[in-house]
Amino acid sequence: MLFQRKYVLALRRALYKYRYRKRSKGGEQEGEEMIKTENLTKEYNGNKAVDGLNLEIAEGDIFGFLGPNGAGKSTTILMLVGMIEPTEGKCIINEIEVARNPLKVKAIIGYLPEDVGFYGNMTAEQNLDYFARFYAMDANERKKRIEELLELVQLDGVSQKVGGYSRGMNQRLGLAQALLNDPKVLFLDEPTANLDPEGVFQYREQIKQLSDEGKTIFISSHILAEVSKVCNTIGIISKGTLIARGTLEELKNEFGRVGTENLRIIVETIEPLPEIEHEDIISAEYSEAKRKVVIESKSDLRDYISSELFEKGVKVKEMRMEEPTLEDVFLSVYRR
Amino acid sequence: MEAKGLFNVARKEFIGHLTSKKFIVILGLFLIISALAMHQGMDYYNNRLENYKEQISQIKDVEGIEPGYMPEKPTIMLVFMFMSSYIMMLGAILAIAMGFDLVSKEKETKSLKSLLSCPVFRDEIINGKALGGTLALVFAMGTALLISLAMLLIFSIVPSMNELATILVFGIVSIVFLLAYFAIALMMSTVSGDSGSALIYTLVIFFILGSLLPLVGPTVAGMVTGEPPERPAFHIQHETDESEGPSIKEVSEEEMQQYQEELRAYWEKRRPITEAFNIISPNMNYQKISFLISNPQIYSAVYEQSSPFTSTGYFTGGGEAPGLQEVLGKVWKNILALIIFSVVFFAIAYVKFMRLDIR
Ligand SMILES: Nc1ncnc2c1ncn2[C@@H]1O[C@H](COP(=O)(O)OP(=O)(O)OP(=O)(O)O)[C@@H](O)[C@H]1O
Ligand SMILES: [Mg+2]
Repeated sequence: MLFQRKYVLALRRALYKYRYRKRSKGGEQEGEEMIKTENLTKEYNGNKAVDGLNLEIAEGDIFGFLGPNGAGKSTTILMLVGMIEPTEGKCIINEIEVARNPLKVKAIIGYLPEDVGFYGNMTAEQNLDYFARFYAMDANERKKRIEELLELVQLDGVSQKVGGYSRGMNQRLGLAQALLNDPKVLFLDEPTANLDPEGVFQYREQIKQLSDEGKTIFISSHILAEVSKVCNTIGIISKGTLIARGTLEELKNEFGRVGTENLRIIVETIEPLPEIEHEDIISAEYSEAKRKVVIESKSDLRDYISSELFEKGVKVKEMRMEEPTLEDVFLSVYRR
Repeated sequence: MEAKGLFNVARKEFIGHLTSKKFIVILGLFLIISALAMHQGMDYYNNRLENYKEQISQIKDVEGIEPGYMPEKPTIMLVFMFMSSYIMMLGAILAIAMGFDLVSKEKETKSLKSLLSCPVFRDEIINGKALGGTLALVFAMGTALLISLAMLLIFSIVPSMNELATILVFGIVSIVFLLAYFAIALMMSTVSGDSGSALIYTLVIFFILGSLLPLVGPTVAGMVTGEPPERPAFHIQHETDESEGPSIKEVSEEEMQQYQEELRAYWEKRRPITEAFNIISPNMNYQKISFLISNPQIYSAVYEQSSPFTSTGYFTGGGEAPGLQEVLGKVWKNILALIIFSVVFFAIAYVKFMRLDIR
């Protein structure tokens, strides 16, 4: 618990630095601002699902929107794509205010809902054709685009009706439908939730490719590893408010440095353990009839511990050292 | 650009209806049953026609017949009256089956979210659904009417222009009737959380409007107006016309007239009450319209005389059926009521859909 608090502080420091840096540059970053929310708030029966959210995402970014279940990720996205209206505040995409002009925004964005669904009595092609007809595309364009997309998500040659699709297939079709209009901005709500490892791998490739095409991509997830693999900037939301924001590098560097400050050494032995004492040890928790200890220390004490045990004739079954992962840090942030 | 989305939705909905199993099954059943009903109707029509011809020839044989009584020339619309009762049952069920999950299913399968992520206005979606459903109902009714026309021709009954026009009116009124239930189902589908309860509630409304109201109307009217007046003591009225038997002395002319006055007043009092109940039941409106279209003479006897059975016996009517215009003049209120039904329920569906929380 103690070491976690330290990381939270470090995370805050990183955040502060990020903000400070941005301000000093006068907001002139690599790209133009593509997605922006101002004091975005959504209330459900008096509870704020999203609470005064201020976000800025530059054009061409792959933004990872991280947060635990119920944090308000989907609610934020739904407001961004013009599906629900904010209680307060506004969303601006490509300089268009979403609530004022939802159709204009919808024409340039793609959206993959978290639980995407289609018409079960139609094939993938028929489903996509129906949606494609709402965009300015003629019959030939539609046909070509749909063929391309089905190939991209590897649903080409599937003649089955969508009602018989597995959840993963459904999700892949969802990506195809989000890309129908070759959108400038792409919103993906937990895009890998139902994918198998192979599907996840392909999805990552697709995201990289789409990013290379210059699209701005907004991905929500509760899995850090997922986001850190594809995103270059990250925001963390908890209970409706943004609690951290920065590029992946910034956050990583910050935690990489502090990561060496606190260590966990886990020792398992055959004989009962003697008391191990050292000034760097912060705490030691014995378990399994003193045959296991988890030591929290300021430095790597493995050499010292092994010679101590050797002297006392205690045989070692296992000894390993754990550094806290980013995951641990985010967990502690989540639980704040 | 404006209507593009609307037509896209309507097109998809229309095709969706025509290719859906439930539509095909119910429409198929409806067509088979109405064809059988028409067959029955045609037998009935032919019998009536025979009778009519016989009576006409008798009248011609007997000189000096009273001009007040002429047999009714049957119209082929009788055939359609047989159909209308099936439209009221199976047709309404078809309309309900088409409408009850139109919105709720899209909520359940989440396809609504995918649909709304396209640049399309919400009103285009709900209007498109209404339009697509209406077209499918027009298709269903059109098929039924075409089959019935074909059957008429097979039985070498050739409708006149006037009768064709009446058939067309019958078709349109039937579609408006079906639309009323389609609109109720669509409304329930928009209001309810899931398709299951939408179906149940629609059926509940269907039974209230179709079965309960027509029963409640006369009951309430009976409670308000009490018993009908006592008939003066005599037996068969038209015996008096033919023979001067001693029994007729028991009933004087005044007594008889007074009785008729009372009876007329009784029915006058009763009619607005039953009509008030009938006008809010699509079934009763439709029944009245289709009955009048197919039996204009009986209708005028039943609904417009002071009581269903006048002193002269069964019914009185001219030999010529009232024209279509005259008939429509008598039922415009009912047609309007049917239209208002569809509009009101659709409007509720519309308003609700525009505010629907998409999650
Ligand atoms: N229709 C609703 N009525 C009331 N509260 C709601 C409604 N929809 C969402 N909420 C609340 O809003 C909060 C945010 O929900 P949201 O779906 O945005 O979370 P999330 O971050 O997407 O979570 P998950 O990772 O589970 O998808 C939740 O606490 C939820 O209870
Ligand atoms: Mg979510």
